[in-house]
Amino acid sequence: MPDWIDIAIRAIIFAAVLFLITRLLGKKQISELNFFEYVSGITIGSIGAEISTGLERNIFHGIIAIGIFAVIPFVADFISLKSKRFRDFTEGKPTVFIKDGKIMEDNLKKERYTTDELLELLRKKNVFQVADVEFAVLEATGDLSVLLKKENQPLTAKDLNLTVPSIKEPQTIIMDGKILDEPLATIGRSRAWLHTELEKLGVTLENVFLGQVNSYGELTVDLYDDKLQVASPQERPLILSTLKKCQADLELFALGTESKEAKQMYKLNSQKLQEAIDKVTPILKA
Amino acid sequence: MTVGSEVKQCLASLKGVEAELSSLALRTEDNESKRTLHETMMTIHEVVQDLKKRVGELEREEGQYKGF
Repeated sequence: MPDWIDIAIRAIIFAAVLFLITRLLGKKQISELNFFEYVSGITIGSIGAEISTGLERNIFHGIIAIGIFAVIPFVADFISLKSKRFRDFTEGKPTVFIKDGKIMEDNLKKERYTTDELLELLRKKNVFQVADVEFAVLEATGDLSVLLKKENQPLTAKDLNLTVPSIKEPQTIIMDGKILDEPLATIGRSRAWLHTELEKLGVTLENVFLGQVNSYGELTVDLYDDKLQVASPQERPLILSTLKKCQADLELFALGTESKEAKQMYKLNSQKLQEAIDKVTPILKA
Repeated sequence: MTVGSEVKQCLASLKGVEAELSSLALRTEDNESKRTLHETMMTIHEVVQDLKKRVGELEREEGQYKGF
Protein backbone atom coordinates (compact mmCIF):
# COMPACT_ATOMS: atom_id res chain seq x y z
CA MET A 1 0.00 0.00 0.00
CA PRO A 2 1.53 3.35 -0.98
CA ASP A 3 2.19 5.76 1.88
CA TRP A 4 -0.20 8.39 0.66
CA ILE A 5 -3.19 6.05 0.79
CA ASP A 6 -2.23 5.04 4.32
CA ILE A 7 -2.07 8.70 5.34
CA ALA A 8 -5.40 9.44 3.72
CA ILE A 9 -7.06 6.54 5.53
CA ARG A 10 -5.52 7.56 8.84
CA ALA A 11 -6.60 11.16 8.35
CA ILE A 12 -10.18 10.12 7.61
CA ILE A 13 -10.29 7.80 10.64
CA PHE A 14 -8.96 10.52 12.93
CA ALA A 15 -11.32 13.12 11.55
CA ALA A 16 -14.15 10.77 12.44
CA VAL A 17 -12.74 10.00 15.90
CA LEU A 18 -12.13 13.68 16.69
CA PHE A 19 -15.63 14.59 15.52
CA LEU A 20 -17.17 11.89 17.70
CA ILE A 21 -15.18 12.91 20.74
CA THR A 22 -15.93 16.62 20.46
CA ARG A 23 -19.60 15.77 20.08
CA LEU A 24 -19.46 13.58 23.20
CA LEU A 25 -17.76 16.32 25.21
CA GLY A 26 -20.66 18.59 24.41
CA LYS A 27 -21.30 22.22 23.68
CA LYS A 28 -19.19 23.47 26.54
CA GLN A 29 -16.01 22.34 24.84
CA ILE A 30 -16.48 24.89 22.07
CA SER A 31 -17.68 27.92 24.00
CA GLU A 32 -15.81 28.13 27.29
CA LEU A 33 -12.83 25.99 28.09
CA ASN A 34 -11.75 25.27 31.62
CA PHE A 35 -8.30 24.04 32.42
CA PHE A 36 -8.87 20.35 31.71
CA GLU A 37 -10.76 20.96 28.50
CA TYR A 38 -8.12 23.36 27.28
CA VAL A 39 -5.28 20.94 27.90
CA SER A 40 -7.07 17.89 26.55
CA GLY A 41 -8.28 19.82 23.50
CA ILE A 42 -4.76 20.75 22.52
CA THR A 43 -3.39 17.29 23.23
CA ILE A 44 -6.12 15.47 21.34
CA GLY A 45 -5.49 17.68 18.33
CA SER A 46 -1.75 17.09 18.32
CA ILE A 47 -2.11 13.36 18.78
CA GLY A 48 -4.51 13.28 15.84
CA ALA A 49 -2.09 15.20 13.65
CA GLU A 50 0.91 13.20 14.78
CA ILE A 51 -0.62 9.79 14.15
CA SER A 52 -2.22 10.62 10.83
CA THR A 53 1.07 11.73 9.27
CA GLY A 54 3.55 9.59 11.23
CA LEU A 55 3.31 6.25 9.45
CA GLU A 56 5.65 4.45 11.84
CA ARG A 57 3.17 5.04 14.71
CA ASN A 58 0.55 2.53 15.67
CA ILE A 59 -2.90 3.87 14.89
CA PHE A 60 -4.59 2.12 17.82
CA HIS A 61 -2.16 3.61 20.32
CA GLY A 62 -3.22 7.00 19.04
CA ILE A 63 -6.88 6.22 19.42
CA ILE A 64 -6.33 4.95 22.98
CA ALA A 65 -4.45 8.14 23.90
CA ILE A 66 -7.18 10.30 22.44
CA GLY A 67 -9.81 8.30 24.30
CA ILE A 68 -8.02 8.83 27.61
CA PHE A 69 -7.60 12.55 27.04
CA ALA A 70 -11.29 12.73 26.20
CA VAL A 71 -12.22 10.94 29.43
CA ILE A 72 -10.21 13.30 31.67
CA PRO A 73 -12.34 16.45 31.13
CA PHE A 74 -15.41 14.24 31.30
CA VAL A 75 -14.44 12.97 34.74
CA ALA A 76 -13.37 16.48 35.79
CA ASP A 77 -16.77 17.82 34.74
CA PHE A 78 -18.48 15.08 36.69
CA ILE A 79 -16.53 15.82 39.88
CA SER A 80 -17.09 19.57 39.47
CA LEU A 81 -20.83 18.97 39.33
CA LYS A 82 -20.63 17.34 42.75
CA SER A 83 -17.99 19.39 44.53
CA LYS A 84 -17.84 23.15 44.87
CA ARG A 85 -14.25 23.10 46.08
CA PHE A 86 -13.06 21.10 43.10
CA ARG A 87 -14.96 23.49 40.86
CA ASP A 88 -13.31 26.51 42.40
CA PHE A 89 -9.95 24.84 41.93
CA THR A 90 -10.38 23.84 38.28
CA GLU A 91 -12.51 26.65 36.95
CA GLY A 92 -11.23 29.44 39.14
CA LYS A 93 -13.18 31.98 41.14
CA PRO A 94 -14.49 35.30 39.92
CA THR A 95 -12.63 38.37 41.14
CA VAL A 96 -14.37 41.58 42.15
CA PHE A 97 -12.92 44.53 40.26
CA ILE A 98 -15.34 47.30 41.22
CA LYS A 99 -17.30 47.33 44.45
CA ASP A 100 -19.59 50.10 45.74
CA GLY A 101 -18.47 52.13 42.73
CA LYS A 102 -14.81 51.95 43.75
CA ILE A 103 -12.08 50.14 41.84
CA MET A 104 -10.33 47.43 43.86
CA GLU A 105 -6.72 48.11 42.90
CA ASP A 106 -5.37 45.13 44.82
CA ASN A 107 -7.59 42.70 42.96
CA LEU A 108 -6.55 44.24 39.65
CA LYS A 109 -2.94 43.66 40.58
CA LYS A 110 -3.67 40.11 41.69
CA GLU A 111 -5.19 39.24 38.32
CA ARG A 112 -2.45 41.19 36.50
CA TYR A 113 -4.89 43.51 34.76
CA THR A 114 -3.81 47.05 33.89
CA THR A 115 -6.16 50.01 34.21
CA ASP A 116 -6.26 50.21 30.41
CA GLU A 117 -7.41 46.61 30.17
CA LEU A 118 -10.10 47.23 32.78
CA LEU A 119 -11.31 50.25 30.80
CA GLU A 120 -11.30 48.17 27.64
CA LEU A 121 -13.41 45.46 29.26
CA LEU A 122 -15.82 48.11 30.53
CA ARG A 123 -16.07 49.70 27.09
CA LYS A 124 -16.96 46.31 25.64
CA LYS A 125 -19.94 46.45 27.97
CA ASN A 126 -20.75 49.94 26.65
CA VAL A 127 -19.58 51.61 29.84
CA PHE A 128 -17.34 54.58 29.19
CA GLN A 129 -17.34 56.12 32.63
CA VAL A 130 -16.25 54.14 35.66
CA ALA A 131 -18.43 56.34 37.86
CA ASP A 132 -21.52 54.72 36.28
CA VAL A 133 -20.59 51.31 37.65
CA GLU A 134 -21.79 50.02 40.99
CA PHE A 135 -20.24 46.57 40.83
CA ALA A 136 -18.09 44.70 38.34
CA VAL A 137 -16.64 41.23 38.57
CA LEU A 138 -14.12 39.41 36.41
CA GLU A 139 -15.55 35.98 35.72
CA ALA A 140 -13.40 32.86 35.64
CA THR A 141 -13.80 32.84 31.85
CA GLY A 142 -12.20 36.28 31.54
CA ASP A 143 -15.42 38.19 30.86
CA LEU A 144 -16.27 41.24 32.91
CA SER A 145 -19.80 41.34 34.29
CA VAL A 146 -21.01 44.83 35.08
CA LEU A 147 -23.84 46.03 37.30
CA LEU A 148 -24.61 49.65 36.57
CA LYS A 149 -25.84 52.04 39.22
CA LYS A 150 -29.62 52.02 39.33
CA GLU A 151 -29.98 55.45 37.72
CA ASN A 152 -27.85 54.33 34.78
CA GLN A 153 -29.72 51.13 34.13
CA PRO A 154 -32.15 51.02 31.24
CA LEU A 155 -35.71 51.96 32.13
CA THR A 156 -38.00 48.97 32.52
CA ALA A 157 -41.75 48.58 32.52
CA LYS A 158 -41.55 47.90 36.24
CA ASP A 159 -39.85 51.25 36.89
CA LEU A 160 -42.71 52.99 35.11
CA ASN A 161 -45.39 50.92 36.83
CA LEU A 162 -46.58 49.82 33.41
CA THR A 163 -48.63 46.69 33.05
CA VAL A 164 -47.38 44.71 30.11
CA PRO A 165 -48.92 41.47 28.91
CA SER A 166 -46.77 38.39 29.24
CA ILE A 167 -46.06 36.73 25.93
CA LYS A 168 -44.85 33.43 24.60
CA GLU A 169 -42.08 32.96 22.08
CA PRO A 170 -43.06 33.40 18.43
CA GLN A 171 -42.83 30.39 16.15
CA THR A 172 -41.22 30.41 12.73
CA ILE A 173 -43.50 28.48 10.42
CA ILE A 174 -42.35 29.48 6.93
CA MET A 175 -38.74 29.50 5.84
CA ASP A 176 -37.52 30.10 2.28
CA GLY A 177 -41.02 29.59 0.89
CA LYS A 178 -41.50 26.24 2.62
CA ILE A 179 -43.86 25.38 5.46
CA LEU A 180 -42.26 24.01 8.62
CA ASP A 181 -44.71 21.44 9.95
CA GLU A 182 -43.23 20.90 13.40
CA PRO A 183 -43.57 24.45 14.79
CA LEU A 184 -46.94 24.65 13.08
CA ALA A 185 -48.05 21.63 15.08
CA THR A 186 -46.58 23.14 18.28
CA ILE A 187 -48.99 26.06 18.09
CA GLY A 188 -51.80 23.74 17.08
CA ARG A 189 -52.42 25.06 13.56
CA SER A 190 -52.90 23.27 10.30
CA ARG A 191 -51.60 23.92 6.82
CA ALA A 192 -55.13 24.85 5.79
CA TRP A 193 -55.17 27.60 8.42
CA LEU A 194 -51.85 28.91 7.13
CA HIS A 195 -53.08 28.98 3.55
CA THR A 196 -56.15 30.95 4.64
CA GLU A 197 -53.99 33.45 6.53
CA LEU A 198 -51.68 33.86 3.53
CA GLU A 199 -54.69 34.43 1.33
CA LYS A 200 -55.94 37.09 3.73
CA LEU A 201 -52.60 38.85 3.39
CA GLY A 202 -52.77 38.42 -0.37
CA VAL A 203 -49.42 36.67 -0.80
CA THR A 204 -48.40 33.30 -2.18
CA LEU A 205 -46.40 30.79 -0.18
CA GLU A 206 -43.55 30.81 -2.72
CA ASN A 207 -43.05 34.53 -2.24
CA VAL A 208 -42.66 34.29 1.53
CA PHE A 209 -39.04 34.33 2.73
CA LEU A 210 -39.89 34.10 6.41
CA GLY A 211 -43.19 33.74 8.25
CA GLN A 212 -43.70 33.87 12.01
CA VAL A 213 -46.68 33.55 14.31
CA ASN A 214 -46.69 35.59 17.49
CA SER A 215 -48.17 34.87 20.89
CA TYR A 216 -51.63 36.03 19.72
CA GLY A 217 -51.72 33.73 16.71
CA GLU A 218 -51.07 36.58 14.26
CA LEU A 219 -49.03 35.80 11.16
CA THR A 220 -46.31 38.23 10.05
CA VAL A 221 -44.35 37.62 6.87
CA ASP A 222 -41.25 38.88 5.10
CA LEU A 223 -41.41 38.59 1.32
CA TYR A 224 -38.72 37.95 -1.27
CA ASP A 225 -40.06 40.93 -3.16
CA ASP A 226 -39.25 43.86 -0.87
CA LYS A 227 -41.23 46.29 -2.99
CA LEU A 228 -44.51 44.69 -1.96
CA GLN A 229 -46.22 46.10 1.10
CA VAL A 230 -47.77 43.63 3.52
CA ALA A 231 -50.53 44.64 5.90
CA SER A 232 -49.68 44.33 9.57
CA PRO A 233 -52.24 42.56 11.75
CA GLN A 234 -55.01 45.02 12.67
CA GLU A 235 -57.41 42.83 14.57
CA ARG A 236 -56.43 43.70 18.13
CA PRO A 237 -56.32 47.51 17.72
CA LEU A 238 -59.66 47.25 15.93
CA ILE A 239 -61.25 45.42 18.87
CA LEU A 240 -59.92 48.07 21.23
CA SER A 241 -61.27 50.96 19.19
CA THR A 242 -64.68 49.30 18.86
CA LEU A 243 -64.75 48.75 22.62
CA LYS A 244 -63.91 52.41 23.21
CA LYS A 245 -66.60 53.52 20.80
CA CYS A 246 -69.23 51.37 22.51
CA GLN A 247 -68.22 52.73 25.89
CA ALA A 248 -68.63 56.30 24.61
CA ASP A 249 -72.01 55.36 23.09
CA LEU A 250 -73.24 54.03 26.42
CA GLU A 251 -72.27 57.29 28.11
CA LEU A 252 -74.18 59.19 25.45
CA PHE A 253 -77.26 57.00 25.95
CA ALA A 254 -77.02 57.62 29.70
CA LEU A 255 -77.10 61.36 29.07
CA GLY A 256 -79.84 61.12 26.49
CA THR A 257 -82.41 58.95 28.17
CA GLU A 258 -85.29 60.30 30.25
CA SER A 259 -85.94 57.11 32.16
CA LYS A 260 -84.15 57.02 35.49
CA GLU A 261 -83.78 53.26 35.49
CA ALA A 262 -82.26 53.19 32.02
CA LYS A 263 -79.89 56.02 32.93
CA GLN A 264 -78.67 53.99 35.89
CA MET A 265 -78.23 50.89 33.76
CA TYR A 266 -76.30 52.73 31.02
CA LYS A 267 -74.05 54.38 33.59
CA LEU A 268 -73.27 51.13 35.33
CA ASN A 269 -72.51 49.34 32.08
CA SER A 270 -70.35 52.14 30.72
CA GLN A 271 -68.32 51.93 33.93
CA LYS A 272 -68.06 48.17 33.53
CA LEU A 273 -66.84 48.59 29.97
CA GLN A 274 -64.33 51.24 31.05
CA GLU A 275 -62.89 48.84 33.61
CA ALA A 276 -62.72 46.08 31.00
CA ILE A 277 -60.97 48.43 28.57
CA ASP A 278 -58.40 49.43 31.19
CA LYS A 279 -57.71 45.80 31.93
CA VAL A 280 -57.38 44.62 28.36
CA THR A 281 -55.62 47.62 26.81
CA PRO A 282 -52.05 46.31 27.39
CA ILE A 283 -52.95 43.20 25.41
CA LEU A 284 -54.88 44.86 22.61
CA LYS A 285 -52.52 47.77 22.08
CA ALA A 286 -50.44 46.85 19.07
CA MET B 1 -81.68 57.59 13.44
CA THR B 2 -83.83 56.77 16.46
CA VAL B 3 -82.44 56.01 19.89
CA GLY B 4 -83.62 52.44 19.44
CA SER B 5 -81.54 51.85 16.35
CA GLU B 6 -78.50 53.50 17.92
CA VAL B 7 -78.71 51.20 20.90
CA LYS B 8 -79.14 48.27 18.56
CA GLN B 9 -76.04 49.29 16.65
CA CYS B 10 -74.05 49.52 19.86
CA LEU B 11 -75.38 46.11 20.89
CA ALA B 12 -74.31 44.62 17.58
CA SER B 13 -70.80 46.09 17.87
CA LEU B 14 -70.46 44.73 21.39
CA LYS B 15 -71.56 41.29 20.26
CA GLY B 16 -68.92 41.44 17.56
CA VAL B 17 -66.26 42.42 20.09
CA GLU B 18 -67.37 39.60 22.35
CA ALA B 19 -66.95 37.08 19.57
CA GLU B 20 -63.59 38.45 18.50
CA LEU B 21 -62.26 38.47 22.06
CA SER B 22 -63.37 34.91 22.46
CA SER B 23 -61.55 33.81 19.31
CA LEU B 24 -58.48 35.84 20.30
CA ALA B 25 -58.51 34.18 23.72
CA LEU B 26 -58.57 30.78 22.05
CA ARG B 27 -55.65 31.63 19.78
CA THR B 28 -53.47 33.25 22.44
CA GLU B 29 -50.65 31.01 23.65
CA ASP B 30 -49.94 32.80 26.92
CA ASN B 31 -52.19 31.63 29.72
CA GLU B 32 -52.37 34.89 31.64
CA SER B 33 -53.31 36.94 28.58
CA LYS B 34 -55.79 34.21 27.73
CA ARG B 35 -57.46 34.59 31.11
CA THR B 36 -57.59 38.38 30.91
CA LEU B 37 -59.17 38.19 27.47
CA HIS B 38 -61.68 35.67 28.68
CA GLU B 39 -62.63 37.75 31.71
CA THR B 40 -63.08 40.81 29.50
CA MET B 41 -65.31 38.76 27.26
CA MET B 42 -67.47 37.78 30.25
CA THR B 43 -67.83 41.42 31.32
CA ILE B 44 -68.89 42.38 27.82
CA HIS B 45 -71.35 39.53 27.83
CA GLU B 46 -73.04 41.01 30.93
CA VAL B 47 -73.25 44.40 29.23
CA VAL B 48 -74.73 42.74 26.15
CA GLN B 49 -77.42 41.09 28.30
CA ASP B 50 -78.39 44.44 29.87
CA LEU B 51 -78.47 46.17 26.51
CA LYS B 52 -80.66 43.42 25.06
CA LYS B 53 -83.19 44.03 27.83
CA ARG B 54 -83.10 47.74 27.09
CA VAL B 55 -83.62 47.11 23.38
CA GLY B 56 -86.73 45.13 24.31
CA GLU B 57 -88.07 48.02 26.35
CA LEU B 58 -87.33 50.50 23.58
CA GLU B 59 -89.09 48.31 21.05
CA ARG B 60 -92.20 48.33 23.21
CA GLU B 61 -92.02 52.12 23.37
CA GLU B 62 -91.32 52.75 19.69
CA GLY B 63 -93.29 49.89 18.20
CA GLN B 64 -92.91 51.09 14.62
CA TYR B 65 -89.11 50.39 14.62
CA LYS B 66 -89.42 46.79 15.73
CA GLY B 67 -87.29 43.97 14.42
CA PHE B 68 -83.92 42.77 15.58
